[in-house]
Amino acid sequence: MSASSVPSTAPLVTSTRRPARRRWTSRRMTDILSHGYIWFCLAVFVLPFTALLVYSFTGPGGTYAIENFQYVLGSFGENLWWSIRVSVLSVAIDLAIALPAAYAIVRYPVPGKRLIYSLLSLPLYVPGAVIGLSLVIAYNFTYHLTTSIWGLVLAMVVGTFPLMLTPIIVALKDLPVSFEEAAECLGASRWQTFRRIVFPLIGPGLSAGLMLAFIIVFNEYLVTLFVHPSDVTTAPLRIFNLVRTAGLLPTTAALAVTMQLISFATVLVFFRVFGTRYLKATYLI
Amino acid sequence: MAAEPLSLPIPKLGPDVRGRERRARLIGLALLAPAIFVGLLFLYYPLLFIVQMSFTLGDSFLRPSGAVTTISNYSAMLGRYLPNLAVTVQLAGLATIADLIFGVPFAYILVRKVRYRDLVRAFMVFPMFGALYIAFGLRFILLPGGPATPLFELLGIPNASVLYSLPSVVFAMSIFTFPFMVMNVGTALSNVDPVLEEAAACLGATPRQTFTRILLPLTRAGIVAGCLMVFGWSLGTFAEPLLLGSINEQRTLAWTLYLKGVVQLDYGLSTAMGVVLLIFAFVVTYFSLRFTRGALVE
Repeated sequence: MSASSVPSTAPLVTSTRRPARRRWTSRRMTDILSHGYIWFCLAVFVLPFTALLVYSFTGPGGTYAIENFQYVLGSFGENLWWSIRVSVLSVAIDLAIALPAAYAIVRYPVPGKRLIYSLLSLPLYVPGAVIGLSLVIAYNFTYHLTTSIWGLVLAMVVGTFPLMLTPIIVALKDLPVSFEEAAECLGASRWQTFRRIVFPLIGPGLSAGLMLAFIIVFNEYLVTLFVHPSDVTTAPLRIFNLVRTAGLLPTTAALAVTMQLISFATVLVFFRVFGTRYLKATYLI
Repeated sequence: MAAEPLSLPIPKLGPDVRGRERRARLIGLALLAPAIFVGLLFLYYPLLFIVQMSFTLGDSFLRPSGAVTTISNYSAMLGRYLPNLAVTVQLAGLATIADLIFGVPFAYILVRKVRYRDLVRAFMVFPMFGALYIAFGLRFILLPGGPATPLFELLGIPNASVLYSLPSVVFAMSIFTFPFMVMNVGTALSNVDPVLEEAAACLGATPRQTFTRILLPLTRAGIVAGCLMVFGWSLGTFAEPLLLGSINEQRTLAWTLYLKGVVQLDYGLSTAMGVVLLIFAFVVTYFSLRFTRGALVE
């Protein structure tokens, strides 16, 4: 037995070692391929941005020119300013109505809250062109809001409201009720509890909503195309009009690059301060 | 006065609790009121308004002689404008398929293998800034004589045929909606314990069997939700076909609706197109919420 088992184990050892090594290399191959695939996809994501970045530094005759960016604060400055104003106003209104709504949905026994939540998050799925068309018709014939910036702001509010609501709901669900109960036991009023306990603790979720709503409104062109008052042209709308009518211009690319860089900086600051936890169940994983 | 505290406890508890419950419900509704108010005024009323308007002829809604009620807008939708509807659904479907093919492996690798996930998130933010920038950037790349010309020459594709064509529109659309697919599939995948895959492998399953028998059934809800979301978002595509497609072939409903409604003032027809898109959106939302988000509110 032992005499016959010794020669039989020798090839057995080598035969197990060789597939093991092969498995190790194939695993490494898979790793390289998977990470390569991820990087390939990421490269495709930033491809349009990179192209615009390169293009925005192109001068006449293929030379290098930084002058294109002077237009961003020059003739495009007004558009940029409108964009910032519209974004800030609509994000503020968003916050003012989403915060109580989220609190009611999570903490109060409101009948039919699931239906209400679904109905309120519908605009995420309604195409922007339909929202724009319905609003421009309602503004024209019923509300008479076509010449005021508030029509545009409220259109933005309706479209981005779900983006604000969802992260706040997520944050509130993560917050144990016992904190609020403890505050109440210690004699705090409802308002005090909310202001001193709940509001600081849901800060990250709140900021996630603020960031999402801001970058969406800041870059919105489609609903704006329908409902903008004739004297208000936001930067994305200006880009859209220029690309459509004037063809490709490096100055337009410079504006698009600036818009994306501002948005990207907002996102990066958010990631740095709060991490990505509260973006769950929203746009980003 | 002195006897009052004694009479407080047990008998009053029943009605008191009920009253508190009712008050909590009222406060809840009051807190929801601004959101509901804005939603009704600026979303649901306008949408109902265009539903009503889609049954009137042309701009007869404006005329003093009164609106002419008709269903001709919808018959035109099924007749002359059927190609527009078809191309809208076709583009959205193709973008969904592209995202499914490229997004599922991406989500799997991201959830199981990648440690630098924050970096990936930072990169994935770019498509979110809007289809407009994507379409603009790709238009510059694909332009005859643009940066991609050597690549096309290498592949032997005539450069001029690339820019205003279906594939470039689908490419731009799938870049724009890719994060939605990855988000849905990735969330579903991160809820699946990796131990299950290891167990399947230990029991002799091939990777393919592990995928079809273990992963696919467990993540089906996420995959379906991702597809629905991508499809729903792609239906409203506007900038990509306009900047990258040919104006005769990739004439989507959203763009035609803009032309008819805002430029040619044919309100009846354009609102009918809006209603058709809206119905799609409702169906997609219904199923999508059934598969995922509803759980958030429970």
